[in-house]
Amino acid sequence: MQAAPTPDWRHLSNLSIRIKLNAVRMVAIQGFGYFGQALSAAEMFAVLYGGSFLRPGHDRFVLSPGHYVVVLFAVAAELGLIDRKHLASYGLDGALLEAISTERSPMVDLTCGSLGQGLSGAIGLALAARLAGDGRHTYAFLSDGEMEEGQVWEAAMFAAHHGMDNLSVLIDANNSQVDGAVTDVTTIEPLADKWRAFGWEVFDIDGHDLQALYAALAAPRQGRPRVVVGRTQILARIQALPTSTDAHFVKLDPALTAAIETELEAQLA
Amino acid sequence: MRKPPYDIALKPYGKALLELAQRRPELLCLGADLTRQTETDLIRDQMPERFINVGMAEANMIGIAGGLARAGHTVFVNSFGVFCTRRCYDQIAMALAYPKLNVKIAGFMPGVSSPGGPSHQAIDDLALMRALPNMTVFDLSDASEISQAVSVAADIPGPVYLRLKRGEIPVIFGEGHVFDGRRAHLLSRGTDVCLVASGMMVPATLAAAEVLERSGLSVAVVNSPVVKPLDAATILEAARPTRLVITAENHSVIGGLGSAVAEAMAEAGLGLRLVRIGLQDTFAESGSREFLFDKYGLSVQAIVNGAWQTLRPGTEVPQAPQQLAEPGTYAPV
Repeated sequence: MQAAPTPDWRHLSNLSIRIKLNAVRMVAIQGFGYFGQALSAAEMFAVLYGGSFLRPGHDRFVLSPGHYVVVLFAVAAELGLIDRKHLASYGLDGALLEAISTERSPMVDLTCGSLGQGLSGAIGLALAARLAGDGRHTYAFLSDGEMEEGQVWEAAMFAAHHGMDNLSVLIDANNSQVDGAVTDVTTIEPLADKWRAFGWEVFDIDGHDLQALYAALAAPRQGRPRVVVGRTQILARIQALPTSTDAHFVKLDPALTAAIETELEAQLA
Repeated sequence: MRKPPYDIALKPYGKALLELAQRRPELLCLGADLTRQTETDLIRDQMPERFINVGMAEANMIGIAGGLARAGHTVFVNSFGVFCTRRCYDQIAMALAYPKLNVKIAGFMPGVSSPGGPSHQAIDDLALMRALPNMTVFDLSDASEISQAVSVAADIPGPVYLRLKRGEIPVIFGEGHVFDGRRAHLLSRGTDVCLVASGMMVPATLAAAEVLERSGLSVAVVNSPVVKPLDAATILEAARPTRLVITAENHSVIGGLGSAVAEAMAEAGLGLRLVRIGLQDTFAESGSREFLFDKYGLSVQAIVNGAWQTLRPGTEVPQAPQQLAEPGTYAPV
């Protein structure tokens, strides 16, 4: 964890917008997919990668909800970590970049399509780093819906018991899951209190706030695992998307895609 | 090969694991609140830096093992067979088998060897593990096999399921018995019936073979500790000259050794009768090993019955002598 001394907010803001632009173009290839996840998580990925917290090739990255990989590919292409040309075949038969990440996906040390499993694997990677003394940090990205899986809490308990301060979790708390709002399916709140009660250091922040995200990741460690609960919204932050949109699995036609691109490009500074 | 009642060995798995850990610095051992029961108190007490107790959280244990293996560790995870297979099946599939990671699952107390009833009796673990791509499956019968299987498993790239008897482990095979993780052992050739057994049914099968031979049948016996990938060549070679194949496993007859042998026979066009000794598609109940093995058809007599009633229908079935095991020895039911 070596954050740049003076964050370039304009750069991070533009990066988050370019993540969304890449994502809308990738999802538009098939006309449906995980664009909503980019709308809620773009700032988190922009800060994690653009803020130089995660050192590619050294630190570990676990993507627990594999369908978020569109956001990861989008930021990786912006930062030159993968060849941009691959974005054009995202989700197509035989493509390198699959819509839900797999063992052959670039950029992830561990990914899961079967939700709720990522944190356990991240703990394994973090334990290995502790045993090796190699200074690697493990970042795990989780989504709020998967907090309904019991394994997440088995893992949370274990990490706190072992004081794993080389482990950081980012949660996209966008209140969205397949069947609708998380609050309508099974309430997981109070989320921050739950993690606190499990022994974690908790940052409960606006997940679109670049400065808050940066501060949460840069804060000095306190001998405990850290979780950043990023409160996010999918639909409210983009005017072109109708409020009736299925946020988990967005459908895009060419006109809507163009409108979204125009709106996002206007946000670039 | 020795004769029953067999001598007993204690903690052959735990001892072999400790010895392997002393030779291999990357080896780690994970447990789920069953440390003494899985013989891993040895490594916990002597190499505590290699032992992690994850607590009663098998799904988390499998996930952590996968992460450690990705970082280069060879990981042994330990529990009772029910808890480390059925309870965390998707985790094993996604976190270990699909990425083909170096994690070895040691599942103790197979089949109806547990007095604890259906919650503790692993009757479908072979079926579950066998169905997973990249998974190797061992059902081990004796102390020498178990001792060798630990390092053999560690050397196999990818996940391995080791199915292990808990507690007193019989010493069936003598010096020179080689377990290499691939081959079945042709213990005797015959022309009437071929008995194929694994794990805890090996002693009963050997005893049944003796009864049948004494009664005039020519009996082939194969010990098949590797349930997957099955050594079909050895089994088919032993079966081909006979008229009947009997499989014997301390497991449901669905999905384990009996199913694997049936598939191998059918695919080879070996049109012989097949009798599968094992739990007949049923959950069992609480009880002693003697009671359960007898009641659920896993006894010496059950194997004798299966052979005799098929090959000599309508004639008097030879009776297996009562096997008496003194304290400190082991005999099949």
